[in-house]
Amino acid sequence: MLSESTKKELHAIVGDGWFLDSIEDLVAYSYDGFLPEFMPEGVILPGTSEEISSIMRLANRERVPVTPRGAGTNICGGSVAKEGGIVMAFHRMNRILEIDSDNMCAVVQPGVVNADLQKTVARQGLFYPPDPASMFVATIGGNVALNAGGPRGVKYGTTKDYLLGLEVVLPTGDIIRTGGKTLKNVTGYDLTRLMCGSEGTLGIITEITLRLIPMPPAKATLQAMFASLDDAAKTVSSIIGSGIVPTTLELIDRVILDVIGNYGGAHFRKDAQALLLIEVDGDPLVVQAQAERIEKFCIDKGATEVARASTPEEADKLWQARRTAFGAVASLRPNCIVEDATVPVKRLPEIIRKIVELAAKHQLKIGVLAHAGDGNLHPLIMTDMRDQDEMERVEKALEEMYEAAIGMGGTLSGEHGIGIAKKRFLKMEFGEPAMNIMKGIKQVFDPNNVLNPGSFL
Amino acid sequence: MIPIELAPEFDQCIKCGLCQATCPICKELMLEKYTPRGKIQLARHFGRNDINASDHMRDIYAKCLLCGACAQTCPSGVDLRKVFLGMREQIAGKRGMHPAVEKAVGSVALHRNISNEDNLERAEWSESLQSLPAHFFGKKQAEVVYFVGCVASFFPMVQSIPVNLVQILDRAGVDFSILEGEEWCCGFPLVGAGVPEKMQALIRHNLESVKAMGAKKVVFSCPTCYCTWHEHYHSDLSLYHSTEFLDQLISQGDIALKAINATVAYHDPCDLGRNSGVFEAPRRILKAIPGVTVVELENSRAKSVCCGGGGNLEMVDPGITAAVAQKKLEEIERTGAKIVVTSCQQCVRTIKGRARKRKSDLEVMDLTELVLQAMG
Repeated sequence: MLSESTKKELHAIVGDGWFLDSIEDLVAYSYDGFLPEFMPEGVILPGTSEEISSIMRLANRERVPVTPRGAGTNICGGSVAKEGGIVMAFHRMNRILEIDSDNMCAVVQPGVVNADLQKTVARQGLFYPPDPASMFVATIGGNVALNAGGPRGVKYGTTKDYLLGLEVVLPTGDIIRTGGKTLKNVTGYDLTRLMCGSEGTLGIITEITLRLIPMPPAKATLQAMFASLDDAAKTVSSIIGSGIVPTTLELIDRVILDVIGNYGGAHFRKDAQALLLIEVDGDPLVVQAQAERIEKFCIDKGATEVARASTPEEADKLWQARRTAFGAVASLRPNCIVEDATVPVKRLPEIIRKIVELAAKHQLKIGVLAHAGDGNLHPLIMTDMRDQDEMERVEKALEEMYEAAIGMGGTLSGEHGIGIAKKRFLKMEFGEPAMNIMKGIKQVFDPNNVLNPGSFL
Repeated sequence: MIPIELAPEFDQCIKCGLCQATCPICKELMLEKYTPRGKIQLARHFGRNDINASDHMRDIYAKCLLCGACAQTCPSGVDLRKVFLGMREQIAGKRGMHPAVEKAVGSVALHRNISNEDNLERAEWSESLQSLPAHFFGKKQAEVVYFVGCVASFFPMVQSIPVNLVQILDRAGVDFSILEGEEWCCGFPLVGAGVPEKMQALIRHNLESVKAMGAKKVVFSCPTCYCTWHEHYHSDLSLYHSTEFLDQLISQGDIALKAINATVAYHDPCDLGRNSGVFEAPRRILKAIPGVTVVELENSRAKSVCCGGGGNLEMVDPGITAAVAQKKLEEIERTGAKIVVTSCQQCVRTIKGRARKRKSDLEVMDLTELVLQAMG
């Protein structure tokens, strides 16, 4: 319970207007993109690392849980106050501090929106590739905390691959700096990478140095239709296996095509059971050659139709449809669980067959969406949490799916994180020794368990 | 009373938060309660009686332009505008309407217009016309009624709109009339204030006045009046926004347009474009003027960003309106065009007001002004 005296101290640290505890504000920070909601006891909006340091010293002394929150778009319950206490939001720390084109990097505050950064660096011919579907809203701080990925992961990797340095406020209030502007850095343990994907359990990210790359001058967007889902999945693993590295290689099955079919004017053939959305980028000549190779590849593998977006607007429409798939599908039934199991790309056809089989076996409606090029699946389970029988079947299907994915050398989560969504499955992937190491790390950073308690550990 | 009719909308929201990407308000106010998602979730809690109709709640829902950008962005198809208007109504019923809109609502009750003016002065703008027909555009019978709207009738900065439009219609040979003092507020300010029940008398009166004229068609220069008639007035009248009507006149050859050499940016008003689906008529008119080059804003058509003048917000918090208008001004200036054309008196007022304050040399025009110029 947050005492009145602690509230006063918190208020004194950030000043008028930046500590909120009205019911209206508490409700507004009681949710994120995941299902369960938790009412915090206060919301704090710090303006500087020093303020955050003072807040953490106080929270540590008073044992007040603190849950950092970017834009609250994560879908694992990472940014809700699972054990009460305060939610810390970074709305005020939303400045791009520096774009250093000589060193090809940017220094930003945690509240900067991903797409705003992309747009700003693009004006200087630079490129920040990580592109989660929430990029128009999600913040870089949140992206780092969850090691966000996105469709471009096939070619460009995820947030961790662009992370050069951090400033972090530890749960005890100490401020540390890790890494810097150099591309190479092997000094000591890689604390920068450790923070990335730590889901706000180890420290509060207050400044981020990100690597930028030159904006590829050209790109081509292709859409290939397949009469069978299996053919599409096989095409994916053979494209990747043949040494072509597309920027993105997305797979969308018929269930999802039906839902997003007319969104933004994208049209899909009636006989298509799956669609691959493929993008290549780079030098114009290379792009042209690669696009032709992929077109031929798809046709050889049985595509019923391959089309190339002739204008950027056409390509945008295709991407817009893909990005909104989750929301569009989710609105069909009361709840939608978006899964994130990931396998080595060669096993893609196998895991997709498994998912189709599980849907039938457990009588569930599951649509398959995948960042297929890197084996990252997003099956969408359309369900109703009020239906206990159905939820039991969902749970069984999930368990069987994870077992299959991990059995293929895959993982529980490719890019969404564990939070509270998959906490119960963590032991499937990690044995006791590994779990103990993670718990030990948490203990070193956060001896009193005040930072985002209730998340995956 | 729980707003049951809104419940399906809350259920539809999956809390993805994508609505924040296009909401002009939450870009200014940042806090989650001001985001469309926040307002939906607060409404859900209100529906469960977890939250009262507090002043705080009233203020939160007042901070919305009703521009509809969130609903356009929402991948789950939540009718956010319906929830926001429903919440304004709930809160006004329990707590009273927002003090900042009381004056306008009182004025509508007393004078049948939002400006606290004698409603008989509605056609005062016509005095600036150099030559007036004997009927002063106020006929007894006409095929078409031009519904001028409160803002264009009473705000000097935009009275040029009806002045231009009546000249265009007159020269095109349209048999039309205005309602003068018999035109009453369309009722939107009441909907926006959360007291839609008070608009019934206005609806009845306006429909009777149009029918008494024997008219079959109503033309609006105000997109919000147009939108409000479509949503709340039930009749067999054909409703046209002035851009749709002029587009027809041009295509029928009733209006001849001479060349104007100019590059203009076009701003889609929310209530005309996104909320009424009229995107092409104004563009066709612009293209019909020889010599005019139209440039599109970064966000145009359904993605157009509100000028800041919507949703009664200007009455509640002119500071936010100014901040949103500033961004609009910058978006227009980035096109390089020296003229921006729009089709809404409120957009003209807001953008022009901002441009003047910033000492920008941007020329802000209603489309009717450009058309009249092109008619020579």
